[in-house]
Amino acid sequence: MVGHRQEAPPVSLAVLSQVLDAVRANSLWPLTFGLACCAIEMMAAGAARFDLDRFGAGVFRPSPRQSDVMIVAGTISRKMAAIVVTLYDQMPAPKWVIAMGNCAIGGGPFTYPGQYAIVNGADKILPVDIFVPGCPPRPEALIQGMLELQDRLTQGGRTNLLRRFARYPRRAEPGGRP
Amino acid sequence: MSADFCQRLGRRLGQRLGAAALGQADYRRQGYHLRLELAPDHLRELAAMMAEEGCYLEYITAVDRGGHLELAYVFGRHQEACRLLALAAVPKGQGVLSIAGVFPAADWQEREVFDMLGQRFIGHPNLKRILLPEDADFHPLLRDFQAGPELGGDEMEI
Amino acid sequence: MHRQALTEDTFYLNLGPQHPSTHGVLRLLLRLDGERIVECQPILGYSHRGHEHMAQNRTYLQFMPNPCRMDYLSGLMYNHAYCLALERACGLEVPARAEHLRVICAELNRISSHLLWFGAYLMDLGAFTPFLYAFDDREDILAILGLATGSRLTYSYCRFGGVRDDVGQDFLEGIRAFIPKMRARLKDYDTLVTRNVIFVNRTQGVGVISPELARAHALTGPCLRASGVGYDIRKAEPYGLYPELDFDIPVRAGGDCLDRYLVRVLEIEQSLRIIEQAMARLPGGPVKATGVPQFITPPPGLYHTSYETARGHLGIFLAADGTRVPYRLKFRVPSFGNLGILPKLLPGTLVADTIAILGSMDVVMPEIDR
Ligand code: SF4
Repeated sequence: MVGHRQEAPPVSLAVLSQVLDAVRANSLWPLTFGLACCAIEMMAAGAARFDLDRFGAGVFRPSPRQSDVMIVAGTISRKMAAIVVTLYDQMPAPKWVIAMGNCAIGGGPFTYPGQYAIVNGADKILPVDIFVPGCPPRPEALIQGMLELQDRLTQGGRTNLLRRFARYPRRAEPGGRP
Repeated sequence: MSADFCQRLGRRLGQRLGAAALGQADYRRQGYHLRLELAPDHLRELAAMMAEEGCYLEYITAVDRGGHLELAYVFGRHQEACRLLALAAVPKGQGVLSIAGVFPAADWQEREVFDMLGQRFIGHPNLKRILLPEDADFHPLLRDFQAGPELGGDEMEI
Repeated sequence: MHRQALTEDTFYLNLGPQHPSTHGVLRLLLRLDGERIVECQPILGYSHRGHEHMAQNRTYLQFMPNPCRMDYLSGLMYNHAYCLALERACGLEVPARAEHLRVICAELNRISSHLLWFGAYLMDLGAFTPFLYAFDDREDILAILGLATGSRLTYSYCRFGGVRDDVGQDFLEGIRAFIPKMRARLKDYDTLVTRNVIFVNRTQGVGVISPELARAHALTGPCLRASGVGYDIRKAEPYGLYPELDFDIPVRAGGDCLDRYLVRVLEIEQSLRIIEQAMARLPGGPVKATGVPQFITPPPGLYHTSYETARGHLGIFLAADGTRVPYRLKFRVPSFGNLGILPKLLPGTLVADTIAILGSMDVVMPEIDR
């Protein structure tokens, strides 16, 4: 209402939600779901050597109803697009989407005048949180994307008390957090 | 050994399907030994002969040549290198006999040709689209196919 | 055998397109009678990306990155095959060193593909540890290939008339260290998996394919060789360096899932042999032919090239019209034939065997859908 000052709520849940977010950020459960080449690098990221489990994100769930991160790894064809959306709808909130690879970002190598088969990027059909570029991105890049997502959940990592390692130096975002 | 079989096969094909149409090919360059041009009506007969000879169907494909489609049937053999490329020119819109009854592998191959180029196969058990969505109304590998703006990929309606 | 009549136990099960064991985006529509499959209908195309349409809109060189994205597990082999196809059509010669490097890299790629299959297949069957082992070994290969090609998965290493760049000492050292390590690992795999009772019980006698059936459905690659037919393009129509190398084609006669498994594991050993020989005789010299035009234009005509990838017979059919752009480029992909046998093979088996059979065929869906 115009001129009406927002009252502070009687009970503040801010701290509780921060705690919950920190917990969520440290146990992201991705959906087992590969579309094309990038899925192999996603598997590699979850396997020995790269081991996404170190960051709490290695519990790949085959069912959308048990997972909270969708990694769109590969090209979304027109035939698959509706199914991808259904899978997203089946995931319980809160949920996040990582677009892995150039195909999921913007059609990648398959964008050219006259193409008929694919959807030019996951953001055409889903709300994407993190974009991981590469064709395919290296597993390290996917891990970086996961950490980025964790930071996003925990206010730039400030409330992520479980993060046990130093953060890389980051550039100040224009008008944003340091 | 391979040359023997190829020559015998070539002779037999020539006798049955018209010798004039049978040409040798430069295997080193073109990758097949025999090249046969035949009328679409003879495809079934050719397939039956190739099955008798113990060859396998490598693939079926088609090339859009403007007014007609050039169907290409490629047969190979396990025992020795002998590859036959059989070509049949079919006017667009005309069906040809399916060989899925002779070579089960042709089932999906013919569906793919139908899907991509719109060639109908008469007597095919299940001639549906195989790669594109079943409600698609275009055949993308025809030379005059133009993806419309609804397919451009930028807008997507679910 | 299963009952034919429709009973109240008849129901439909939709497996995929999002299912951990369908290796990508295959969808199987199964009609079941209790636990037994009555009918299986694979539905493809969920990763159709229009490669062949793209080929008609790209020059030959611009299309180079595409083949390795069809079957991304045999990326280097697809890349090699594509270059081979155009070299044959244009009559280009490849320097000896480049031929050696191509074969070395292709065989490394074959091993990495088989390793990934090995891990994923065992995971489908419920064993998690082999997956970690296989990926560990696979990373070694990827690191070596990365030195030569700069890529981990989608390699465009070959060029028309050679390879992109010469390799360094680290590449050769890496391979020399890798071969004995892989041999030792194969022994581990043997004890860990091949003689494991559970594994053998789940695969032996399951999904038996007779040689006649295999031929009728145009099976190729390890699936065919497990049915007693020793057909391998590397021997039947040798290309590149293969005629000069000494290696065997593993063949098994049983035609069941276990034999398909064994053929692939034995192939890893043969690939190691090939790499050893090629390394031993690696000549010096240039790695690229000189005088390759910037835009290659094959003379008009129809061309076919065969290649043995990790999954079987890859055929590239090219209709050229004398321009810089392919008039029609068709890929005969091995998985297409190998998967086509499922509707014939599955009826009568149990649902649990579906996964064992499907996994043993080693299909890559984007290759089929193209
Ligand atoms: S981004 Fe590249 S590697 Fe990833 S799915 Fe697309 S083509 Fe394949």
